Amino acid sequence: MAAYLIRRLALVLVVVWGTATLAFFLLFLSGDPVNLLLPLDATPEVREQFRKANGFDRPVWQQYLSYMGRAVQGDLGISLRNQTPALGLVLERMPASMVLAGAALLFAVVFGVLAGVIAAVRKGTTLEFVVLFFALLGQSLPVFWLALMLILVFGLELRWLPISGYGVGPLPGLPALANLVLPAIAVGTFSMAAITRLTRGGVLRELRSDHVRTARAKGLGERVVIYKHALRNAAIPVVTVIGLQLGNLLSGAVITETIFAWPGVGRLVLTAVTQQDFPVVQAAVIVFAVLLAVINLVVDLLYGVLDPRVRYA
Amino acid sequence: MNKGWIGFLASLALLGSVWAQRSDTIVIAQGVDVTVLDPNNQLETPTANVLANIFDTLYMRMPDGTARPWLATGVRAINPTTWEMTIRQGVKFHNGEDLTAETVKWNFERVIDPQRPLRISNSWANLASVQVVNPTTLRFTTRNPFPVFVTRLTGFYILPQKYVTENGNRYLQEPVGTGPYKFVRWVRDQQFELEANPNYWGGAPKIRRVIFRPIPEASSRVAELISGGVDIITNLVPEAVNAVRSSGAAEVRSVPSIRNIFIMLNTSGKADSPLANPKVRLALNYAVDKRAIVKNVLGGFGQPTGCPLNSYIFGYDARSCQPYEYNPTRAKQLLAEAGYPNGFTMTMGSPNGRYLNDRQVAEALVGQLAQVGVRVELRVQEWSTYVGQILERRIPTDAVLLGWGNNEFDADNSLYSLFYGGTVRGGPRQVAFSYIRSVPLDNALLQAQRTTDPEQRKKLYLDALRVLRAESPWIFLHQQEDLYGVSKRVDWKPRPDERLFAADMALK
Repeated sequence: MAAYLIRRLALVLVVVWGTATLAFFLLFLSGDPVNLLLPLDATPEVREQFRKANGFDRPVWQQYLSYMGRAVQGDLGISLRNQTPALGLVLERMPASMVLAGAALLFAVVFGVLAGVIAAVRKGTTLEFVVLFFALLGQSLPVFWLALMLILVFGLELRWLPISGYGVGPLPGLPALANLVLPAIAVGTFSMAAITRLTRGGVLRELRSDHVRTARAKGLGERVVIYKHALRNAAIPVVTVIGLQLGNLLSGAVITETIFAWPGVGRLVLTAVTQQDFPVVQAAVIVFAVLLAVINLVVDLLYGVLDPRVRYA
Repeated sequence: MNKGWIGFLASLALLGSVWAQRSDTIVIAQGVDVTVLDPNNQLETPTANVLANIFDTLYMRMPDGTARPWLATGVRAINPTTWEMTIRQGVKFHNGEDLTAETVKWNFERVIDPQRPLRISNSWANLASVQVVNPTTLRFTTRNPFPVFVTRLTGFYILPQKYVTENGNRYLQEPVGTGPYKFVRWVRDQQFELEANPNYWGGAPKIRRVIFRPIPEASSRVAELISGGVDIITNLVPEAVNAVRSSGAAEVRSVPSIRNIFIMLNTSGKADSPLANPKVRLALNYAVDKRAIVKNVLGGFGQPTGCPLNSYIFGYDARSCQPYEYNPTRAKQLLAEAGYPNGFTMTMGSPNGRYLNDRQVAEALVGQLAQVGVRVELRVQEWSTYVGQILERRIPTDAVLLGWGNNEFDADNSLYSLFYGGTVRGGPRQVAFSYIRSVPLDNALLQAQRTTDPEQRKKLYLDALRVLRAESPWIFLHQQEDLYGVSKRVDWKPRPDERLFAADMALK
């Protein structure tokens, strides 16, 4: 187990290094930041001075080495726009992204598992058809369209929920519950649909298996059979997907965060990309790489809890 | 959903909107958030729009484009390189610190300090030194004549010397100015809160609390405005005009902006290339129906123009800036005279999304020019690549669509930056944007930079405009309009400099 952990942690480092390198070089393909950051009428002298001050005049490999050297010490550069440390800007927005991802995941898991079980148990009925129809819809709708429709219906027409922003929550740093609802649904719908389909498939398989037949034969209630015997076993692939989805929910909320003016990392990244704020984009990519690698590790370890047959070596 | 659940959500939503709609509060939504809290270290409209409520400038831009004394009570030129400025008395910063001539001097020295350049330092490179004459008077010495001195004062904010020097960089967290509003708090990407300064030297503002919210998505801004969540939204897109108008809650307000949109033509080709011929360029101007473009592509929000300036700008002349009439027959005739009876083929570049419906404007042009036989191949590009090519003079097309917003409201900023061709012996080199090379034009532009007498400068710019009229180096298109969505409960008129001064606003 210990050897396994060490190996996996080393792998995490490699992944993070690779991602950081990729992020560093990819950004240089996107154009000259000096042109974007200075107004049209800035003189050539000013442009040169700015280029020097920000180190854009050095050879790329030099910029890379000094970048990596500083990154190891936790210094991911200064945001060109905000003139404050880039890592700080990213970490500052992490809680908002995590709250949104958490809420979306909760929504996706609760409704996805529930709908999946219903569809499996009511196989062949209209209810199954309806659930599957919405699951397919949930996986095919573009997020931005869904987000705008949610705003239109629940924010503008019915006026039940706020349209955008974080609001003032019950605890400092937390959003208002009402502000969380629409973005969480928008972000979580895709995952919910995926979980629904997966749960349905898993439960259906388990319901046909021997141990479920045995459980039924010894006279257990249907509820116990489904939730204790079938769902528990159907859960392993679902947990994998939930782990993968958490990564998606965290990093993929760029559009949703922008539409709902949510103060998360996704929106920060989008702004930074359009403004060519190199350091912020790099910092965000690296933070996400670390996060995703850790989530994957945790998911792998969770298998052991769910399925005692899994051994780590 | 059961009723209790809906009721719970509804009450939460209500709470949210009550919080936003309190009768003494105004909420303003812009596309992006403030980036820095030092008003002299930024060049961005959304940031300046917020900070200009906390900090005052020495001069103030008026809605007609002129500059009026503000924290300074007056400026006069003693000779072409010396200016004397008097300072308003009795002004206090939000922390109680007094505004003195010493404060102003410190502010200028901070900006021109070569060790720590700020984003606006470049505009003040011409300033050599500042002396305090007496507690309310200062004397400025410049390296060269500096005719745009006064206009640049409208972008120079005054910071409290003692507070900044004593607090080091902490002043950046809690900015203190002399302005009509005091800083309350800033939660990045969420909201920027201001509170009225009851002791403001210009009189206490009418609205007690102002909240700036960054809402990046244009349709979310519109939805918030219609639902009453915010009171003013910037950069309203023409597609949303009808939604706002029919909402009953808000209206569309617009103002001609300082920005002109035009097609820059590569006139520097060989003598036999069509665009090097002034007759051809004149023909292109006649071939474009600017009114139709404004009406159909911009939803009516624009003014056709016939020169690179507009009425806000010092040096503008209504006669030389008359839009070219739409006359395709005359255009064809001119093309035939120039030796192109069957027209010719050219390439044109356009950004997508940088200016109001820019790509659509370019597409309309392609159609109109085809009517007179000029076949245009359009290449739409992403902004940073596009602008990079223009700045480095590696433009792959014969023509480019570009906009120019003159932040100094002075012809120098437009004409010199765009047309100075470097033909004057011993003068500066050609600037990146200029294709045209004309000795009389360059002489006028350079002389206007070296004289401080406004009347003399006006005459020189008139000369320059006449040369441009004769050469028609570009296709002149239109002056853009800035669109805002404004709640009906708000009394406010948009300004040409895009500023959102809460002190100008009132609740009905």
